[in-house]
Amino acid sequence: MEEEEAGTMVHTNFYCHLGNWGILKKLEQWFIPISMSPWKLGEKAALQALKANPYVDMIVVDGISLLCTDLQVDPQDIVMLVVSWHMKAATMCEFSRQEFIGGLQSLGIDTIEKFREKLSYMRSELRDDQRFREIYNFSFGWAKEKGQKSLALETAIGMWQLLFAEWHWPLVDHWCQFLQLKHNKAISRDTWSQLLEFAKTIDLQLSNYDEEGAWPYLIDEFVEYLTENGIVQRPQN
Amino acid sequence: MSAQKRRTFKIEAFKHRVEIDPKYAERTWKVLEHAIHEIYNHNASGLSFEELYRNAYNMVLHKYGEKLYSGLVTTMTGHLKEIAKSIEDAQGSLFLEELDRKWGEHNKALQMIRDIMMYMDRTFVPSSGRTPVHDLGLNLWRDNIIHSSKIQSRLLDTLLDLIHRERKGEVINRGLMRNITKMLMDLGPVYQEDFEKPFLEVSASFYSGESQQLIECCDCGEYLRKAEKRLSEETERVSHYLDSASEVKITSVVEGEMIANHMQRLVHMENSGLVNMLVDDKYEDLARMYSLFRRVTDGLSTIRDVMTAHLRETGRQLVSDPEKLKDPVDFVQHLLDEKDKYDMIISKSFNNDKTFQNALNSSFEYFINLNNRSPEFISLYVDDKLRKGLKGVTEEDVEVVLDKVMMLFRYLQEKDVFEKYYKQHLAKRLLSGKTVSDDVERSMIVKLKTECGYQFTSKLEGMFTDMKTSVDTLQGFYASQHAEIGDGPTLAVQVLTTGSWPTQPSPPCNLPPEIIGICEKFRTYYLGTHTGRRLTWQTNMGTADIKATFGKGQKHELNVSTYQMCILMLFNSAERLSYKEIEQATEIPASDLKRCLQSIACVKGKNVLRKEPMSKDIAEDDAFYFNDKFTSKFIKVKIGTVAAQKESEPEKQETRQRVEEDRKPQIEAAIVRIMKSRRVLDHNTIVTEVTSQLQSRFLPNPVVIKKRIESLIEREFLERDKADRKLYRYLA
Repeated sequence: MEEEEAGTMVHTNFYCHLGNWGILKKLEQWFIPISMSPWKLGEKAALQALKANPYVDMIVVDGISLLCTDLQVDPQDIVMLVVSWHMKAATMCEFSRQEFIGGLQSLGIDTIEKFREKLSYMRSELRDDQRFREIYNFSFGWAKEKGQKSLALETAIGMWQLLFAEWHWPLVDHWCQFLQLKHNKAISRDTWSQLLEFAKTIDLQLSNYDEEGAWPYLIDEFVEYLTENGIVQRPQN
Repeated sequence: MSAQKRRTFKIEAFKHRVEIDPKYAERTWKVLEHAIHEIYNHNASGLSFEELYRNAYNMVLHKYGEKLYSGLVTTMTGHLKEIAKSIEDAQGSLFLEELDRKWGEHNKALQMIRDIMMYMDRTFVPSSGRTPVHDLGLNLWRDNIIHSSKIQSRLLDTLLDLIHRERKGEVINRGLMRNITKMLMDLGPVYQEDFEKPFLEVSASFYSGESQQLIECCDCGEYLRKAEKRLSEETERVSHYLDSASEVKITSVVEGEMIANHMQRLVHMENSGLVNMLVDDKYEDLARMYSLFRRVTDGLSTIRDVMTAHLRETGRQLVSDPEKLKDPVDFVQHLLDEKDKYDMIISKSFNNDKTFQNALNSSFEYFINLNNRSPEFISLYVDDKLRKGLKGVTEEDVEVVLDKVMMLFRYLQEKDVFEKYYKQHLAKRLLSGKTVSDDVERSMIVKLKTECGYQFTSKLEGMFTDMKTSVDTLQGFYASQHAEIGDGPTLAVQVLTTGSWPTQPSPPCNLPPEIIGICEKFRTYYLGTHTGRRLTWQTNMGTADIKATFGKGQKHELNVSTYQMCILMLFNSAERLSYKEIEQATEIPASDLKRCLQSIACVKGKNVLRKEPMSKDIAEDDAFYFNDKFTSKFIKVKIGTVAAQKESEPEKQETRQRVEEDRKPQIEAAIVRIMKSRRVLDHNTIVTEVTSQLQSRFLPNPVVIKKRIESLIEREFLERDKADRKLYRYLA
């Protein structure tokens, strides 16, 4: 880092330096507005620096916030999920150096403009069935707490609402309501992934839902909930 | 003479034609014709057989066979026409008699004629393809008599009328009938065509009418009796004067009209149908119904279905009637009685028919499992019998009772629930020493082992082992202590291996100081000889014998529970104790404490304590006093029972929960076993396989199986197949 221009270095370090807690305090002091974003400066160099910097391990919340500002997106925007997917991020709200750089490389991004341009491409990826499925399944591991096997219900509900805003599933609200009423526990990976299959293959009258169809029991119970409460009238067969 | 020529002898036919004078043929024929007339006129005695035979022979020899034959036909026909007339003219009952008589005569005549014409029969007839004389005679009879327009229908009507009258109860001339039908049988297909077919039709409508009538006015048993009677009548009729081949045909007509057509109505007849017969143990009627219905299609299955429906309904009522469920022992006895009843019916009336046995078994299995307390109740029944119910009963009878109970056990779907309760009840029996006979206990265990395998009973056997070992341990303990105990209380200890015995909580309880000493001595002794073990006193399960002296000096020996002992010993150093004080001193849990106090303060004849106020329930501000005025006619007073009782609602919930928890690992183990060997399976197959593997213990709930699969997926024992989400893969 010492090799580069001090100004650049400061920005670069600063931008990515958020993993070390001790530094956080410093960061607040070192806050530099967007216009001085490192991306405007020697991009390739910035990347080099990123790679070389031993102190830069993680980008966490604030850094992401900054990144979003640079990219001109809302941190809550689902495109950030797609970004995380490209980066194979292990956990939401943090990128390891490896993940971040690896992701940028695979996307062929070396400037912030390129990054911004890629965003619309990334949004379009959500339209692709296969891609959406991959991103959906990815988001389970990404959204859950480190070391936990299951996804906390509240987080899961948030994710579902986010995801099913992109690929519309009319029953998503009922599903979330049902879970809060009847389940109130964490969601397993199998349930998560099977839910998408359910949403994609089963019609809204549940006419092609098969009780013997090896659906997770939560989904069986959801179907029961829908029929018992008259939300769906299943055709008699 | 040597010159004489040798001449060979030859016999040659006449070289000249020996012509028979056609007149001679005519004359010969006339002789024969005359003879036939005479025969028919019963004047045969004057005839010479030899001469007639020779005449016939000559005619055939001289090639007048044709004339002879046709002459015969004409002559016989002529006579038969006359005979027909005389039969037709017969009045009333004489008709058949005349027919019979003439038939007999005809046969005799035919015999003679055939003998006379024997040469023709043997030579001319075959070579010209004509009907032999005997058959000719029959055919002519048939054509001229039987099929005569004036006789044919009259004959049939007469026969049918006689049969009808006989059916109505009149006596008829069976011998005559026999002759007539035999005549028809002799005439080839005449019997079947002219008689049997209409006979069967008429019989069908007769029995159709009769059955309609009877079914309106008879009850089921009566009707069946009548039907049976009619069937045997018809069989008898056939044997007396019909062709034996007709038997099966007429009986099936009767079966069809009287039984098959009315099966449903009979079986369901109000107040007398199958259900009533079953309820009232009408063995004879049931046997009759069985044997009659057996003859028709679906007859037995009709009976079986109605019996099954009835059994299931009565069973269902039995297991849901709160009155009957109040006393578990009674309830089980009802079940056993019901089983005995139907076993008896099947053996006495249904020929021990296996299909009925199966129907019985499936019905019992159905309703016993409707009530989820059946396993508990059956265990309580056995408990009752093993405590006292079998005293004085012979060993064989004991085996019989236990075998009957095992039959009920086999019907249970939740055998694991039974196991849990059996263990609890057995523990109580063993620890309170309340079992009638060790041998009987063991016999029961052997039966369970035979039924369910060694795993079912290994823990139960562990309990027996502990009891035996404890006796030895106690002996060893006292042998080592002889000098030091002296006057102190004597201790009897049973050491129970955790795991073999039902899990018990061991709530705290402060033992009285008089006891603590020896308890500690035992603990030291035991741990001295068994390192690495931990002992916990189960104060909620023991008993004590206390010597108590009351106001007027009367001494009694009280047999109480350990808890009760702790409470009573407090009164050695206090006149009056409040509930709170007792609670504090003993630390016995509140609900147990209240129950104990109730049994020693509020029960007549056992109130060694006096309570203020005298209410029946224990309140937190009650006060207790040693009851100086206690009296009992017994020196030894038994207070505090540890008998097994039907669980209260919360206890039942708890047991059920524990059973459900126990089932989870068993289901998982089954899933893993199956997946390990099959590697990839679809969901439904897993459910089926798991169910079949576990069904000897309990019927796993498919939803629970699904949840276990999901749990195994989460723990990465299994995964869903990437291509087909309905398949699961085993992850090594």
